[in-house]
Amino acid sequence: MADEITRLSDDLARDPSSLVFMPLADALRRAGQLDVAMRVALRGLDRHPYLADAHDVLARIYADRGDVERASDEWEMALRLDPSHAQANLGLGFVDFRRGNLESAERRLSAAGVDAQPGVVAALAHVRAALGSRAETRSMPASTGAVAMMVESPPETPATVIANAPPTRAPNGMVATPPATPSVSAVREFPAPDPSRARQLFVSALEGADQSALLVDADGLVLAGSYTDAAGHDVADIVAAQLAGVSSEAERAMRHLGLGAWTSLLVEADEAVLAMMPAPLGSLVVVAASRQTPVGLVRLLLDRALTRARDWLARVS
Amino acid sequence: MNKTPYAELLTMLSRHRGVVGSFVVSERDGLSIDSNVQIGVQAEAVAALAASLHRKARLACGAAGCGTVTFLRLDAERGGICAAGRDDLVLVTISEARANIGLLRVEMMRAARALT
Repeated sequence: MADEITRLSDDLARDPSSLVFMPLADALRRAGQLDVAMRVALRGLDRHPYLADAHDVLARIYADRGDVERASDEWEMALRLDPSHAQANLGLGFVDFRRGNLESAERRLSAAGVDAQPGVVAALAHVRAALGSRAETRSMPASTGAVAMMVESPPETPATVIANAPPTRAPNGMVATPPATPSVSAVREFPAPDPSRARQLFVSALEGADQSALLVDADGLVLAGSYTDAAGHDVADIVAAQLAGVSSEAERAMRHLGLGAWTSLLVEADEAVLAMMPAPLGSLVVVAASRQTPVGLVRLLLDRALTRARDWLARVS
Repeated sequence: MNKTPYAELLTMLSRHRGVVGSFVVSERDGLSIDSNVQIGVQAEAVAALAASLHRKARLACGAAGCGTVTFLRLDAERGGICAAGRDDLVLVTISEARANIGLLRVEMMRAARALT
């Protein structure tokens, strides 16, 4: 494993624009180096944002980190790019199963097109059995909890199923190793679908209660995220309105100076630090944190928030 | 031409490595009060934009209950702008990527406290 990582790292160092970042990130994930794996995958996605396989690799990393919501986002992105992506269907199938969306889980596992694999066949059979039981229950008095227990109980080996799935397709002839065990416990903890998901977009990207994040459009309207002041009042709209035009003014200033595109704006105030970055479609990602938060960490949070914002905008726009 | 009270301060800031210009600007109208910039830097336009950015940051921080803005830093691919204000006056520097922003920040925040 270490040799493989070393070899892939050398390959990537020789050609940073190559697609070797995918097997490298996956190898790092399997070695348990999740933070490094995520950095490699995110950097690769900066250069190759439209590769479904790359989003699949990132999804596995998120799953192993216990961030199933982001994993789900990445698999959905992979499917947008390649609607027949087997691994993404497989990953989302298990997420749907854990959510109790059995019909969707059955559809996705079937669409994964890997029925020949015993693990997937078993999982599919389990889902179908649960579906059948549910249908039977609908025609019975609602007195039994047996079906609910069956639906809530996990399939025998969901992790094994994903682990046994076919290897990720290997662009440029590279060997992409089969995915390893994802974090099943994280899947189990997946929250129920939330209609106010846009407001919650950055929650999992932040580190503490003293941090907020917003996605603001070019007109100063809130697209996603939330912002409450120290008294608990929602001030997202007013903060966003005050920041209208920041992106265009920063761009103009840099154009006058010939210093290239602007990359970030950091505002230090008595009580908090605000950091901003340009996001797609002329929007702006804003992260606020208390003054106790190290500035370097604020920038890291901003990077995370930007990644979430990009994915979210790509889905909704 | 008479020197303004800021001439010495601006000269000192412009001596920092990578700093290509510095000026004091009115946040209210974006007009440059005094400047020390290298030839070729469009001081007037940049002063107005920097003042506007500082104003927006101040208003946003006010709305968010973050208190007074003490320092602002706009980063770009090959350099950036730093600003530190007091009341209506904003001290602005333009720097290349090789500038020591940490040192510049300390100097600017100290200098801004003395702006009147």
